Amino acid sequence: MSNLVLFQLRKSTVALSAISKLNKTHIEIQFNFKYLVGQLSQRLQSTSSQVVVRENTKREQKRVVPPNYRHIYPEFLPDPNMEFRNSVREKLERTDMINRRSRIEIPEFYVGSILAVTSSDEHAVGKTTKFVGICIKREFCGLRANFTLRNVVDNLGVEIKYEMYDPRLQRVQVLRLEKRLDSELLYLRDADPEFSTFPFDMDAEFLNEGAPVPVNPLKVNLRPPPWYARWERLQPKGAIIPELRGRRKEKSEKWLEKFSEPWEKYDLMKQYRKTIPEEEQDSIYSDIYSELHQMEIASKKLKRKKAFVKPKKTG
Amino acid sequence: MNSFSSIKTLLSCSSLRSSTFLQQVRHKKYPLQPKIQNPIWFAKKERATFDEQLTKENQAFVKEMVYAKYGPPAIIHGVETLDLSRSLLKQEPVVSGEWTPGIRRTGLIARKIGVYPMWMKDGKKVATTLLQVVDNYVIKYISPEEYQASRKAPRRYKNEGKWGCLVVGAECCDPQKFTKEYCGLFKDSGVAPTKILSRFLVSPEAAIQPGTSLSPLHFKVGDHIDVFGISKERGFQGVMKRWGFKGMPATHGVTKTHRRGGNIGQGGNKGRVFPGTKMPGWMGGRRRTLRGCQILRINTKFNVIFVKGQSVPGGQNSVVFLHDTLLPLKWRKTSPEAFPTYFPNLQEGDSLPVDIYHESVHNFSDPSIMYEDEEVKDAKK
Repeated sequence: MSNLVLFQLRKSTVALSAISKLNKTHIEIQFNFKYLVGQLSQRLQSTSSQVVVRENTKREQKRVVPPNYRHIYPEFLPDPNMEFRNSVREKLERTDMINRRSRIEIPEFYVGSILAVTSSDEHAVGKTTKFVGICIKREFCGLRANFTLRNVVDNLGVEIKYEMYDPRLQRVQVLRLEKRLDSELLYLRDADPEFSTFPFDMDAEFLNEGAPVPVNPLKVNLRPPPWYARWERLQPKGAIIPELRGRRKEKSEKWLEKFSEPWEKYDLMKQYRKTIPEEEQDSIYSDIYSELHQMEIASKKLKRKKAFVKPKKTG
Repeated sequence: MNSFSSIKTLLSCSSLRSSTFLQQVRHKKYPLQPKIQNPIWFAKKERATFDEQLTKENQAFVKEMVYAKYGPPAIIHGVETLDLSRSLLKQEPVVSGEWTPGIRRTGLIARKIGVYPMWMKDGKKVATTLLQVVDNYVIKYISPEEYQASRKAPRRYKNEGKWGCLVVGAECCDPQKFTKEYCGLFKDSGVAPTKILSRFLVSPEAAIQPGTSLSPLHFKVGDHIDVFGISKERGFQGVMKRWGFKGMPATHGVTKTHRRGGNIGQGGNKGRVFPGTKMPGWMGGRRRTLRGCQILRINTKFNVIFVKGQSVPGGQNSVVFLHDTLLPLKWRKTSPEAFPTYFPNLQEGDSLPVDIYHESVHNFSDPSIMYEDEEVKDAKK
């Protein structure tokens, strides 16, 4: 942790103690302080942080919603941009999403998981199509939430973007549940086709219940440029970038020197503006928890049925 | 004498009169900007807030009096307002006439609360704009004669003296926020002073008595409406963004004129810039109307109207005004169910569905859309 953050923390503790002396509550400062400590509580141990950590544990005791819901159902969280917020619209959107989920099971999946999607298509033979591919991108929130699947069919890269709440989807199946090192796998477009080729008759792999989602540490070799994006600047973790030569190498080095912002990860206000606060997340998920939980139980029952194989008589 | 009589006969012949005495009419060829005419209810709305040095008890007493007069604070249809059910009228509105084609009903005041996708039954995705009708009340009705006398209408209005004026308010709040004269406007209606006030031109047959509350069921699913409001302010913008000009080439010897408008006219006889020429300037912040949008769904729980399309003027949470469309091909041909407006029946109120969908719209709680095979279709036939 940088000294700057420590300094900020100390400043805010002083402000808080001064306010508590005056017997007044100032929500904003208290909140910022909580946020700061929430970020640093694991690493720092000071008397002031211990107080707040205790408060947090109190809240956790009351909480019903599992903490991993924000990873399983990220699209239920609204856009943090205050320009686009409206509580009534968000509620309506959530009820619509739940209504759709009552008709189709949209399982837990991440970027890097392999999915099979069956959807109705007016122009297809038999009016339905099935596509298998690796999820390379997940975008947006609410009813606009969508994901992109990629596969290589007959030596041709194919990507299909599916809307998660599109009523034309008939079935969404996770064939392999895993994560990758990055939150977007668009570099697969510039990698060898073998990394994004998956057979259409792939069988679903079962994960034990309650087991953590495995992270696949696979690193992909990129072809030499031209590329879809300037990967040398974006530096994805799951891609091995070939060494550049000449002018492009010079340029990229200069750019990294000029525009890299190593302090960005310590910019707490930036993080705050980009995310929905934990308290609000809790209130959102507790509204829809009962419905989601029931759906989960139903899908688990189905899964168990499928996984169970009748023992054969021997001898 | 003879010649005089011949002229007289000429004058008496009307057809000849028009042809012989042609007078030149000089007028501007571009539409006139309407002159600012303050409405009748124009009063200073907000007052400067100053410390009135009231004790806590006095403040509590004033609040109590406000709540006693208008009603306690309540959250109705997801909006914080005052519960006016005690102070409002309870009888049905007096219907002064019957519906005939061309009659104008009142409009509604709403807030634009967002845009999200919906799907039609054939699988087509459409963007819908959500308009929340916050607590709307009729505050005043002004008859055509009275209304006409108060304002000088420009001559281009053909239907002079045809429309009366209905003042509608939305979003009741504490009257302490407003001036005395503004609060006086609401005196006869029994409505608490509202943040938003608007007028709708209505036919005298569709007049509604003050104190009536308006609901989104004033419109029906499938109706076409016009939505107007103040568009987003973009500031001083160039010609490419403001008018969609193409600009100039990026290369081929072009210097300093990549985003400029180019020529705005010639010299000679003209020798000036014609008014109305498209040029850079202040963009947005003007009243704009989106005409003929179809209502696809109405949510009765939160009073939300879902309108097809996403180009309703204004940003998120901005105020917009809705009324029956004036487009000749889409305007109402048959009598509306709610005339002059929807009046909630208490018995019916319980049986109202939460969501009313248009027949072409896919309900999210319906099963997935499946296309039928043509062979199967033919076999069925």
